Amino acid sequence: MTHPRAANRNATRFAALSAVLAAGVSFFALPAAAQSEIRVAWYGGNWGDAFRTCVAEPFTKATGVRVVPEIGTSTVTLAKLQQQKDAPTLDVAYMDGGISELAQAAGVLDAIDPAGVPNLSKAQPEAVYKADGSIFAVGSGYYSLGLTYNTKEVKTPPTSWNDLWKPEFEEAVTIPSPANSSGVPFVMFLNRMWGNPPGDLSKTFAKLKTLKTALYFDSSGAASNAYQSGEALIGAHFNVGAWDLADKGLPIGFTVPKEGVWATDARLHLVKNAPHKADAQRFIDTALTPQASACLAEKLYLGPAVQGVSVSPEVERKLPWGVGGSVKNLQLFNWADINRDRAAITDAWNRELARQ
Amino acid sequence: MNRALPLLAAPVAFFVAFFAVPMIVVVSSSLMAGGVPSLGNYARVLLDQYHWDVLAATFRIAGLTTAACALLGYPLAYYLVRVVKSRALRRTCVILLVLPLFTSNIVRSFGWMVLLGRNGLVNDALVGAGILDRPMRFLGTELGIVIGLVYILLPFIVLAVGNALAAVDPALEDASSDLGATPFDTFRTVTFPLCLPGLMSGIVMVFTLAVSAYVTPALLSGGKITVFPMLIFQQYSTVFDVNYGGALSMTLLVMTLVLVGLAGWIGNAGADAKGRAAR
Repeated sequence: MTHPRAANRNATRFAALSAVLAAGVSFFALPAAAQSEIRVAWYGGNWGDAFRTCVAEPFTKATGVRVVPEIGTSTVTLAKLQQQKDAPTLDVAYMDGGISELAQAAGVLDAIDPAGVPNLSKAQPEAVYKADGSIFAVGSGYYSLGLTYNTKEVKTPPTSWNDLWKPEFEEAVTIPSPANSSGVPFVMFLNRMWGNPPGDLSKTFAKLKTLKTALYFDSSGAASNAYQSGEALIGAHFNVGAWDLADKGLPIGFTVPKEGVWATDARLHLVKNAPHKADAQRFIDTALTPQASACLAEKLYLGPAVQGVSVSPEVERKLPWGVGGSVKNLQLFNWADINRDRAAITDAWNRELARQ
Repeated sequence: MNRALPLLAAPVAFFVAFFAVPMIVVVSSSLMAGGVPSLGNYARVLLDQYHWDVLAATFRIAGLTTAACALLGYPLAYYLVRVVKSRALRRTCVILLVLPLFTSNIVRSFGWMVLLGRNGLVNDALVGAGILDRPMRFLGTELGIVIGLVYILLPFIVLAVGNALAAVDPALEDASSDLGATPFDTFRTVTFPLCLPGLMSGIVMVFTLAVSAYVTPALLSGGKITVFPMLIFQQYSTVFDVNYGGALSMTLLVMTLVLVGLAGWIGNAGADAKGRAAR
């Protein structure tokens, strides 16, 4: 026979256990029932942080819908979308120009309907991307690859991309390699800048071969590292990365040379068969408000893709088009052309430049 | 016997899911071109002198890395196992040796970029000590890549050799010196041959890891030297040609296996000849 006190203790224990279990069950069950959520794919690091602060938090505040981020580069996000094509879990995806077109071709994107996203009318016309008559992407902010230099070592600020060939910068120049998303378009940009025919890059490669570089960078981080350590004194870098270094107190300057800059953008996409389409559309709508756009400009120096955004003069000079510029000053290439020539340019680069 | 089968199921499932299936995917994609079965990707790889040049550079860098690891790692393992008497000290040394393996390759390679740069610590020290007149270029040279790889792969050879050395029965060495052999002769004829299998497994491990390394060469080459894994990564991550990329992958795999097999065969043949000579 069990001692009464022991039985009592057992009963108490059982009650406590079931209470814990019940609490556990309701804890897991509650959010799904009471609060809906959407899944948004965006990038890591300060980019992801900025998207959270500038877009996701205001969106949750206004709608009560939680935003679950899925962090990855554009390429990884595209791979995920292709994998879950039949039963997607993602609702909205941020992807860069270039990958955006590949996603469209892969058939993983839904058309963005202006009726569901009223703020679409406020976007810059250049930032609305269409294929077969429907909108497959909308820009969330521009960034450019401009001239970046060490303000301590480079006394007169450079004004032209051709300044990279000056003898005093020998062995201290860096430009992107094709492993970087800007590598292939940068070659095409130089080709156009020097007036060489679009289909023939041989002269451009011959000229690039005479450039005495310290390194070709394959990631934005490697470029930042090179400028920070003084390995590179001048070269190309993204306005986002270059100003980030300058803001940390390093002697780094960024300028838009007279020939202009190549630029691209981070874009928003509605996933085909998104599980929460209505909320996903509202998320994109929130991202297209002037407030969100100004916030991204302040945090990342992304050039607003929304009309009528005003930012402080300090932020304005760090935008991708430089002082007094606008989206009209950016050289936005057609990514279809870039993707078509990508394999050939990468191959030529390997043979001409990536060997001693 | 039958009871072992369920136990075997887990590792077999793991092997199939994470090795066999991905491998089949890569092989089958490498045999497709433009949506039809074809050997075109392999022709494109093998009939082009450029790929052979890159392959040669890859094997040269891996070979130098392996040689440097063996030369540095063997004495280090000997010191740890035979010279260090205190158990606590030996343990500390092994932990120090293994500790860098817990940090990501990317972080460690970035560290070497800073150290080996024109204004880096290594150049500052060499110039400061009067060994060099002006900073030497390490980044973007094969030497720089080898330095980075040796640092990352050294623990593998030390652990392999250390284990083999620790397993050598001291009685055999005692017998050798009792019979009048000098310490050097004992090392040459008893100790070294006994830990040769450990050294060989360390060498194979380091060589294959060096051949397939991507992050370290990509960062320390500064994009000026291309090794085979960089070509493969390019095709998969930016050009999105998985067929050509797959053919590149299989080419590197087969060439590496051939080279490792050849080394093993030569090693065995050498050992056999020596064994016959001794008899």
